[in-house]
Amino acid sequence: MRTNCTFSGSGGQGSALLAKLICQGAMKQGLQVVMTQTYGIEQRGGDSTGYVVVSDSRIGNPLVENDADVSVALSPTIYEGCLDGSAVGGLVLANSSLITETREREGVKQVLIPASDIAVELGSVKCANIVMLGAVLEATKVLEFATVEEVLRDLMGAKKPALLEMNLKALEKGRALYLSAAE
Amino acid sequence: MVVRRNVIRYSLAVDEKKRSNLKTIASESYMKSETLFLKNAQTFAEAMVRCGVRYHFAYPITPATEVMKHTSVILPQYGGRMVQMESELAVANALAGCACTGTLGATSTSGPGMSLMQETISYMAGGELPCIMLDAMRVGPGDGDIVGAQSNYFQATRGGGHGDYRVIVLAPASGQEIVDIMPEAVKLAYTYRTPVLFVIDGVTCTMTESANFPEPHDYASEFDTSSWAFTGTGDHPKRYLLTGSYTHSQGEELNNHLLAKYERIKEEEQRWEEIQVDDADVVLVAFGIHGRMGQDLVSNMRADGKKVGLIRPISLWPFPDKAFEKLPESVKSMLVVEMNHGQMLDDVRLAVNGRLPVHFLGKTGGDMPLCTLAEMTAKINTLL
Amino acid sequence: MQELAKIYGETLLLDKKFSYCPGCGHGIVTRLVAEAIEAFGIRKRTVSVVGIGCGGFSHHYMEIDAIEAMHGRAPAVAVGYKIAKPENIVYTYQGDGDCSAIGLAELLHTANRGIPVTCFMINNNLFGMTGGQMSPATLEGQVTSTTPKGRDVHQHGYPLRVPEMMADMRGAKYVAREAVYDAKSIRKAASSVRKALDCQMKGLGFSFVEFIVPCPTGLRLSVSDSYKWNKEKMVEYFKPQVFKNEMEQNDEN
Ligand SMILES: Cc1ncc(C[n+]2csc(CCOP(=O)(O)OP(=O)(O)O)c2C)c(N)n1
Ligand code: SF4
Ligand SMILES: [Mg+2]
Repeated sequence: MRTNCTFSGSGGQGSALLAKLICQGAMKQGLQVVMTQTYGIEQRGGDSTGYVVVSDSRIGNPLVENDADVSVALSPTIYEGCLDGSAVGGLVLANSSLITETREREGVKQVLIPASDIAVELGSVKCANIVMLGAVLEATKVLEFATVEEVLRDLMGAKKPALLEMNLKALEKGRALYLSAAE
Repeated sequence: MVVRRNVIRYSLAVDEKKRSNLKTIASESYMKSETLFLKNAQTFAEAMVRCGVRYHFAYPITPATEVMKHTSVILPQYGGRMVQMESELAVANALAGCACTGTLGATSTSGPGMSLMQETISYMAGGELPCIMLDAMRVGPGDGDIVGAQSNYFQATRGGGHGDYRVIVLAPASGQEIVDIMPEAVKLAYTYRTPVLFVIDGVTCTMTESANFPEPHDYASEFDTSSWAFTGTGDHPKRYLLTGSYTHSQGEELNNHLLAKYERIKEEEQRWEEIQVDDADVVLVAFGIHGRMGQDLVSNMRADGKKVGLIRPISLWPFPDKAFEKLPESVKSMLVVEMNHGQMLDDVRLAVNGRLPVHFLGKTGGDMPLCTLAEMTAKINTLL
Repeated sequence: MQELAKIYGETLLLDKKFSYCPGCGHGIVTRLVAEAIEAFGIRKRTVSVVGIGCGGFSHHYMEIDAIEAMHGRAPAVAVGYKIAKPENIVYTYQGDGDCSAIGLAELLHTANRGIPVTCFMINNNLFGMTGGQMSPATLEGQVTSTTPKGRDVHQHGYPLRVPEMMADMRGAKYVAREAVYDAKSIRKAASSVRKALDCQMKGLGFSFVEFIVPCPTGLRLSVSDSYKWNKEKMVEYFKPQVFKNEMEQNDEN
């Protein structure tokens, strides 16, 4: 089983961290991962995209070639790219707090998540990426929820308990939002 | 009045002591197998150090710089050192000096640096000095572009240096393969007393992936270098590395000796991966990143009932001619895909020697400096 | 031979005939280096890294291990060697072309790096081996095979003084220029060779000695005229002196 993921956002939105968390979690579960960052879609000012391939067997093609199974769009500037880069049958999760104009693409499912608003409610706009992560996990089942919680604990547990608390809430909130929005 | 200056002593005794202390620390915290998630350039650094490289000489150049950044952190923990030199000329020659002691050293660079090292690579081949080198290939010619490429195939396999020499050239296609092949590389370097050059495209070098590292093992120190290393006449009669004061007969003798060695390498050290060539109509030939993409290409196209096979050269020199010797009757044509404008293509054509049409698909430079799987698939469809 | 070996020890291979031309200054410097190695008793752990040029043959006359480096790169080879095997004594033996034309960058960086290796630059102010072409050290107006009308400083720049450049470098602990045109200058030169090696043996830092020597063949002069020319012309521009000696100061610490 292979899952292609695209995580896009503007500078500071933490799309790269999102990609890395998925990779760390995959490794905990004994899966193989490849992350690429700088090929393909033109890098516009401040935007960044992390591509991740997760697989339970040897990864041949390391690239995500306009065939993402799941894409996260954190900011409006990369929304179009995410939509075009999705596989037919793929899913795009758009941060509807910032992305106000969306369009349809046949064969691509889109779910709107107000990730930035939720993040602000939880205490910091910075955890919008983690809200999205919760949604990705629920939508794709690419990793176990508990694994990602563990990754977060490893990352910030000891030193920043308050931050961890907020991020765990964000993760859970993202999951719940996906469930209700996807219905 | 005597001016007192604080002269810092380069104290050898202290250095030695520090070394052995550090070794113990390293052995405690590093002596385990583990899965790491690193940029492949870092994986290269980890792999070579875990296999016994203790000195890494380098000069910054993207995308090879990651290697020296990494070794500058980890080598001291193994009692070794990353030495930043003033140029790639100095790098290559310091590496040669290190090799003269019988110690395994390494370097990592990219196109322009590789070009500067050519004279010394020829020198090390002639002087039979083992070492590990990495060319993290980027777009050329000239200073080029930092984006990845496979455009140094000719330089690596033909030698940009002078004289009748060869170096062993390895092209692992993934982080895991870098780890798996490194012990082999060290063995090849010492067994044949030759530089071993890794060529890895910059896209592969900069991607981050998981790789399983076995327990560190100092393969380098298992080789007895006492019969040739220039360690001083304490335990042997005078020895010298001959390069500038040949007699005509010594020149011929050396070349004959090298020739015999190269023939042996060609016979014994060809490496490649082969997938479903047995009944294939078309065989894809690609190394490095295009080779690993080929693994998916074959399974995808086979799932559609299309008989496609793959030959992925892992040793570029010696080129795996043997893979092409007994191609089945079913094969109608071959497709070579490279991140350049057709370099390995020549070797494939030599290997099939006119028996089959050999087609080419290639690209170099740009935001997307390689052929996509979709492009490769489309091209093969035109050949079926 | 037996008798000579008693006097000169095992380092110098006295039964080997020099391939240097008669009167060549390399002969003198090669002997000085061999004598210093013998005197310090470091023959078995000394390695010579020779440059490309007539001095590349110097190791053939000594019972020590040697590495012939590519043209100009001997200092970098020495650095790599010393890092991997710090207990050995490593010195380079290079011509003025090798040291100051093609290899100036490696030489200066090695000096600046301060790793204890020793570089000997044998300055005969031209490319001897390739037949007497201009080198960076060729004097103004001097005729060579590539400056038939004499070195024109407006075209070729000025004769290059190398140790002067190094004296300011903190990694260099002993820097000197010597000559070999008479017994007195040779005695001084011998002392500098010993100091330079001693500096390395004590692990203090980089050491360097330039030797002003004649190449009668390249100068197209008789042996005696070539030494006279050395004494009168060369030494006037390239003044023998110890530029830096930070060995004693350290001993007082
Ligand atoms: C890269 C390179 N360029 C040129 C040469 C040819 N070459 C051999 S010796 C030499 C000059 C040596 O002059 P110097 O260093 O002054 O030594 P000398 O013979 O005068 O002692 C040259 C240019 C070479 N061997 N390698
Ligand atoms: S050419 Fe000059 S430097 Fe070379 S051996 Fe003859 S005299 Fe000496
Ligand atoms: Mg000279």
